[in-house]
Amino acid sequence: MLTIQQLVKYRGSRRILSGITFQARPGRVTGFLGPNGAGKSSTLRILLGLDRASAGRALIHGKPYAELRRPLSTVGAVLDGSGAHRARTGRDHLRWIACAAGLPRSRVEEVLEIVGLADAASKRAGRYSLGMGRRLGLAAALLGDPELLILDEPVNGLDPEGIRWLRSLLRERAAAGGAVLLSSHLMGELAETVDDVVVINRGQIVADGTLAEVVGAHRTLEDAFFALTAAGGGVS
Amino acid sequence: MRVWRAELSKLVSLPSVWVAVAVGLLIPSIIAGITASAARTAIARGREAAAGIDTGYQELAFGVIGVIILGVVAISSEYFTESEDSGGGRQITTTLTAVPSRLRLLLAKASAVAAASAALSVGAAIVTMTVVQSMLGEYAPALSGQDIPRLLGVVCYWALTALLSFGITVLVRHGILPLAVLIANTSVVSVTYLLTRLTPLANYLPDMAGIRMFIRDLQDSSADIAPLVGGLVMAAWTAALLAVAAFVFCRRDA
Repeated sequence: MLTIQQLVKYRGSRRILSGITFQARPGRVTGFLGPNGAGKSSTLRILLGLDRASAGRALIHGKPYAELRRPLSTVGAVLDGSGAHRARTGRDHLRWIACAAGLPRSRVEEVLEIVGLADAASKRAGRYSLGMGRRLGLAAALLGDPELLILDEPVNGLDPEGIRWLRSLLRERAAAGGAVLLSSHLMGELAETVDDVVVINRGQIVADGTLAEVVGAHRTLEDAFFALTAAGGGVS
Repeated sequence: MRVWRAELSKLVSLPSVWVAVAVGLLIPSIIAGITASAARTAIARGREAAAGIDTGYQELAFGVIGVIILGVVAISSEYFTESEDSGGGRQITTTLTAVPSRLRLLLAKASAVAAASAALSVGAAIVTMTVVQSMLGEYAPALSGQDIPRLLGVVCYWALTALLSFGITVLVRHGILPLAVLIANTSVVSVTYLLTRLTPLANYLPDMAGIRMFIRDLQDSSADIAPLVGGLVMAAWTAALLAVAAFVFCRRDA
C-alpha cells in the first residue's frame, strides 16, 4: 500500500505540489496521470525519499521510505533513464546494487534474463538504447523481488513489444497482490493497463477513482484527461 | 559493511578509477626516474654531494593527483546526468533507493575512497622508491627506520587529499570544477603555496600543512610545523569539510 497524504512541495518560492492525497492499493495497478510538469515525478521522488516534502507525508506500508528495513525487497522503482553510470556494464551495475541490498549475485543473472538483457549484460550502459536502458532500470527494480512497484513514465523508449511485455509484468504483479503505481503522460498505453486512475494537474489532484469512474461520461480516458486538465483545475 | 563493499565494487567497475590508479602509479615514478637520473649524473660529476633528503618524497607529493581524481569521480559519477536521448537519469537515484540512509551511504563511500587511496599510495610509494633506488644505484640514500614515519605520512597525505577532493565534490555535485582546481593547485600553479608568500597563516592550509608529514626540506618555508602537527592540521580540515558535506548531503534533495 502506498499512501500520499497532503503532500506540499516548494522549489524555491514556487509551489509545485499543493496538498496531494491519494493511495495505490494492493492488487491493483494505479495510473498516475498528468501533463509534463504537473508534479508526477516530484511526488514519486518524495515517496522514494529522494526529495524532501515541504509538508505532508508519503508512506510505504505506513512508513517513510527511509525507515524500510529492506527497501529493495519492499519497493522496486524506476525513475529517469537506466539509473546506471554510462561507463559501467549492465551486469556490474546490478551487482553493486545486489551487494548493497544483501541479495545473492545469482539474482543478478535471473533479472537480466527476466528483462531480456542477458546478451547485453557485458556492454556498458552508455551504449544501450533508450529501451535497453529502461529494461536495465526495471532489472534493478526487480532485483529484490519487491511486492510494490513505482515506475515513472515506464513506457518511454520501449518498443511495442517491450510495452506489451511490461504490461503483462505489471498485471502479474498486481494479480499476485502487489501494488503498482506508474506515472504517464501517455493515455493510450495506460487505459489498457490500469485499474485505478489519479489525475494530477498543476500540482493538484483533479480526479481519483477507478478507470470507469474517471472516464465517466467521456468516450475514452484520453478525452477525460484533456477535459480534466484543460481548464487548469477541475473537480475531484 | 555491505554498503562499504558495494561502494568498493562501484569504484572497481568504474574506468575513470583505473585512470586514477594509472596516474597515481606512473606520475611519481616517472618523475622520480627523471630527477634521479639527473641527480646521479650531477653526483658522479661532483656537482652535488649527495641525493636530496626528499628524493622520491617530492615526487610522491605530486602523485597525489591520482587520488584527487579518485576522490572526485567517486562522487561525480553519481551525479553525472545522462543525455536526454538516454532518459536523462542519474545514478544517485539508484544509490539512494538502495541505501536510503544518507549518512550511512556517505560514510561507506568515504571509507571506500580512503581505503582505495591508501592502497594506491602504498603501491605508488613502493614503485617510486624502487625507481629511485635503482636509478641512483650506489648514490641512493639508504632507506632506514626514519623513513617509516615519513612513508606513513605519504599514506595519510594521499588518503586525506582523496577525502578533501571527495568532500568538495559532494558539495558541488560536479566533477570538472574540483578536478581542474585541485589538479592545477598541485601541479601548474600552487595557489596555496603562493598564499604562504603573503601570510604565514597559509602554511596551515590543508595541503601545505599535510605535506610536512613527509617533506623535510621545504624551500623558503615561512613557518615551522612539526610532521605530526601538520598531519593533525590536515586531518582537522578534512573532518570539518566532511562534516559540512554530510550535513548538506543529508538535507538537500537528491
